Amino acid sequence: MPYRAVVSGVGLTEATSPRKQTLSSIELCQLAVRRALEHSGDAPDRIDAIVTGNIDGFEGTVLGAKHLTRLLGIGSTAPVVVVNTGGTTGGNLMQVAARMVRSGTHRVVLCLGGPTFFGATDLQSAINTNSPMIIEQPLGMGAYHMGAFAACAYQDRFGLTPEDLAAVVVADHAKAARNPYAHLRNTISADEVLSARPLSAPLTQAMVCPVSTSAVAMVVADADTVRSERASGSVGRATRPALIKAMGMSADPYLGGGKGDFARMENLENLARRVYARADIRNPAEDFDTVELFAPYAHMQPMQLEALGFASPGGGVELIRSGATDPEGRLPVNMSGGPKCTNAGVAGELAPYAYAALQVMGDAPAEIQVAGADRTLAHGTGGTFFQFENLAVFESLTRSN
Amino acid sequence: MTSPTASQAGEAIIRRSGSDGVAASPSRPATQEVNWNLRYDIHLGATWSRFMDGLRQRKLLANSCASCSRVFVPPQAYCESCFEPTAEWLELPAEGTLEVYTVAWHGFTGGPTPPYAIGGIRLDGASTLLMHHVVGVDFDSESDPKDALPFGTRVRAVWAEERVGHVLDISHFEPAS
Repeated sequence: MPYRAVVSGVGLTEATSPRKQTLSSIELCQLAVRRALEHSGDAPDRIDAIVTGNIDGFEGTVLGAKHLTRLLGIGSTAPVVVVNTGGTTGGNLMQVAARMVRSGTHRVVLCLGGPTFFGATDLQSAINTNSPMIIEQPLGMGAYHMGAFAACAYQDRFGLTPEDLAAVVVADHAKAARNPYAHLRNTISADEVLSARPLSAPLTQAMVCPVSTSAVAMVVADADTVRSERASGSVGRATRPALIKAMGMSADPYLGGGKGDFARMENLENLARRVYARADIRNPAEDFDTVELFAPYAHMQPMQLEALGFASPGGGVELIRSGATDPEGRLPVNMSGGPKCTNAGVAGELAPYAYAALQVMGDAPAEIQVAGADRTLAHGTGGTFFQFENLAVFESLTRSN
Repeated sequence: MTSPTASQAGEAIIRRSGSDGVAASPSRPATQEVNWNLRYDIHLGATWSRFMDGLRQRKLLANSCASCSRVFVPPQAYCESCFEPTAEWLELPAEGTLEVYTVAWHGFTGGPTPPYAIGGIRLDGASTLLMHHVVGVDFDSESDPKDALPFGTRVRAVWAEERVGHVLDISHFEPAS
């Protein structure tokens, strides 16, 4: 690979519910971009290209990229790439930007994830359009119903209890309470999780992500350019960039009925093998300092921990209950509180990448920074029955060299 | 320019909310309603049209991959494992095993009235699951629905009286015994 790509800046906005949000979608994007450029120390005219994403029909607008660059103050000539993968669009943005930098066609690429769950008065109706129409949607199959299939199958195979699911939620909220950018910052008790309104068995409302508004921006740049400019003091702040060591994406069949086994995340297992090999990860439990997973539903985090090699099949809940994934544990997971507490659509999918990079940069909010983190993992997933998975490994340049 | 730009105003609002987590918005966010009401005719294509025509005649049509022998229902034009065009068509029995299901306690606008159960059924001879409604569940939120209808139950298709070439030409699946 001719060039290496690093994350040199990250900008987040404080998340709220749509009801409390006083900024518009574009204002949130502007704020995130300004913060990312402040963080990286780049002037707007340093940006060679913009990668952004949208989701068909979610926003009541087809904004795409038609006038985004002008409104962002980046100028009128930067090329814009709009990603729309029909699921985990945000999880693909940084990967596209990194490929552009690695290929040598662009040196500094801005990645922008906007608040795409913002505006629909009946968001579930919009999200449910994601369920495969013609075959599965007419059955009354919406977003969390599709999610619940895995929860049911996993519960049946491994004896997962509702209390286990509640324990995952309690842990996520305790972490989000520390994150100044999180949306749901309330702590919650297991009883409150269990007595919440049932949605689709075994999931209750409290086991499912909220609808949030926020924006996330990242600056992805050529590693050697960033290093030499910073050494000479010509551009940028002294921020430690996060090397994108390895990344990848993988897809399952479109119809839910094409999944081989709902109690295992086989697609993620396969992807992890591929990405770990590229980053020379031999023992994931020892090799990562912290992990950010896209786990909007309570059962997903234990299943992902298993697929990623942090726990044996069925052992994910025990890992969480043991305290190992807590802030002071040996593998802090979702220090941000994860999408269970903040999910703003494309911004929500880009967030694990932003937080995992911030950890390596040492610039995560002080309350959630893992001391000395220099190798982290970011994960995204989405689409019908979570058809798509994506992963990236971040390292400090010092460690990598 | 005498007035601050929208984004500067936004920055001020965010900063003012401070670190105590309490939103200090000066007023209720201003919103205006926009309505999209679009209807679509989705062309099913050759493969799914044949499947839907089969349903109208109370037949469950599947197709298979010549390379890996997987049998797909609903049928598909390509094998998603081998990336080969599918070849042979066959009819499957309207009976199989209920491998997994969820009880929807909460539906959505335009969907069926909850509670209802949606399951993944492995028709005999199929490599994929067919998703459909299942009956026989005890809709009591206090107990485990699997007590009345365990995973692994044998089920069969119940056909709708009126069939028009739609997935709901199968009314639902019911326990076979």
